[in-house]
Amino acid sequence: MTELVRLTDVTKVYQGGITGALSSVSLSIEQGEFTAVMGPSGSGKSTLLNLIAGLDRPTSGDVVVGGTDLGALDEAGLARFRRDHVGFVFQFFHLLPNLTALENVLIPAQLKGRENADSRGRKLLERLGIADVADRYPARLSGGQQQRVAIARALINNPTLLLADEPTGALDTHSGEQVMELLAQLHRDGQTILLVTHDAKLATRQASRVVSVRDGKIVDDARLESKERATSEVVRVRGEEASR
Amino acid sequence: MSLKYGVLGLLAEEPLHGYEVKNRFESMLGGTWEVNIGQIYTTLQRLERDGLVRPVGARGDRGKLLYELSPPGRKALINWLAQPDSGPQQLHEDIYVKLLLATRVANGGLPALLGRQKRAYLQRLRDLNQLEERARRDGRNDLARLIRGALLHTEADLKWVDELAADAHGGKTE
Repeated sequence: MTELVRLTDVTKVYQGGITGALSSVSLSIEQGEFTAVMGPSGSGKSTLLNLIAGLDRPTSGDVVVGGTDLGALDEAGLARFRRDHVGFVFQFFHLLPNLTALENVLIPAQLKGRENADSRGRKLLERLGIADVADRYPARLSGGQQQRVAIARALINNPTLLLADEPTGALDTHSGEQVMELLAQLHRDGQTILLVTHDAKLATRQASRVVSVRDGKIVDDARLESKERATSEVVRVRGEEASR
Repeated sequence: MSLKYGVLGLLAEEPLHGYEVKNRFESMLGGTWEVNIGQIYTTLQRLERDGLVRPVGARGDRGKLLYELSPPGRKALINWLAQPDSGPQQLHEDIYVKLLLATRVANGGLPALLGRQKRAYLQRLRDLNQLEERARRDGRNDLARLIRGALLHTEADLKWVDELAADAHGGKTE
């Protein structure tokens, strides 16, 4: 396995002591892993994600992603890094309202000046099951559709790392399930995914690793087995002894 | 839930032999409750003694006896179905007692215990997630609902050990 992300002794201090700070966090993530970062709000889990994404810089410590030391990059370098290596999915989609679904998906590709972006964008929308809404504006899409457009946008430049911060937080149960199933499918196809959530059910659904963050520290790093178990090994309904 | 009412419930659909009761019961519970045939026969005999079921006709080939629900049996079943579970909550798992003892026994290792328990709950959540999906795929929405109940319980257990761990952490002088 190849190491894709390495955080070494990372500390993030916010002035005024706002929550979300990190204290001496070290973490290594392999390529192809589906890792869930779990913790209550204010625990620092989103900060962790933002540092890995190059959206924010640590107060001290090193963040290395795909061999690149993010601390060595200037602002323009960080922007290029994000564009080329990171796909980001947010809780509230963050689509531009005056662009169609397809146009939203194409933004990162246009920033990169890639050829054939249009046909790749349409293919991606098709893969995510929303080809039929490619020319609609976000206001005319359901929450689940908007999030799938956001996922397509995150994937258009074939990112090394897909980061998702509470991606189902603004969705109803059914749409949330669909988004999680989509992430699962992407992972099966080899995508490295880092999912931040406060929801244990989501964290354990597909991730083979659950990292727990509390008060700015990693307090647990659990590897989960994914082999299918017989029902009776997992859950049993117990009755009284046969009635007298 | 008791086997008695499980048997009554299945016989409410149609008369069955002991083996059919066992198979249908286990299939209804989707592998979450296995019973041996002896328990089924004992239960049927008691239900017959109490007048809640009765044999239909004589023993058939290989001595098999068909049972049906009697009118008092149907009434008992309907009553049971209408009753909420209002008895004491059952906490079967050892963790509850371990937790109490871990603080009494010197070097009981409460934080380590909580850490290991958390991992066990995370693994169980993952397994339950898979079972729920499998149940839905198999068209067993009734079973998926049962597993969903187990899932939510495990989520609560997880929240509980997290709280305890935060307490243990907060109380520790560093």
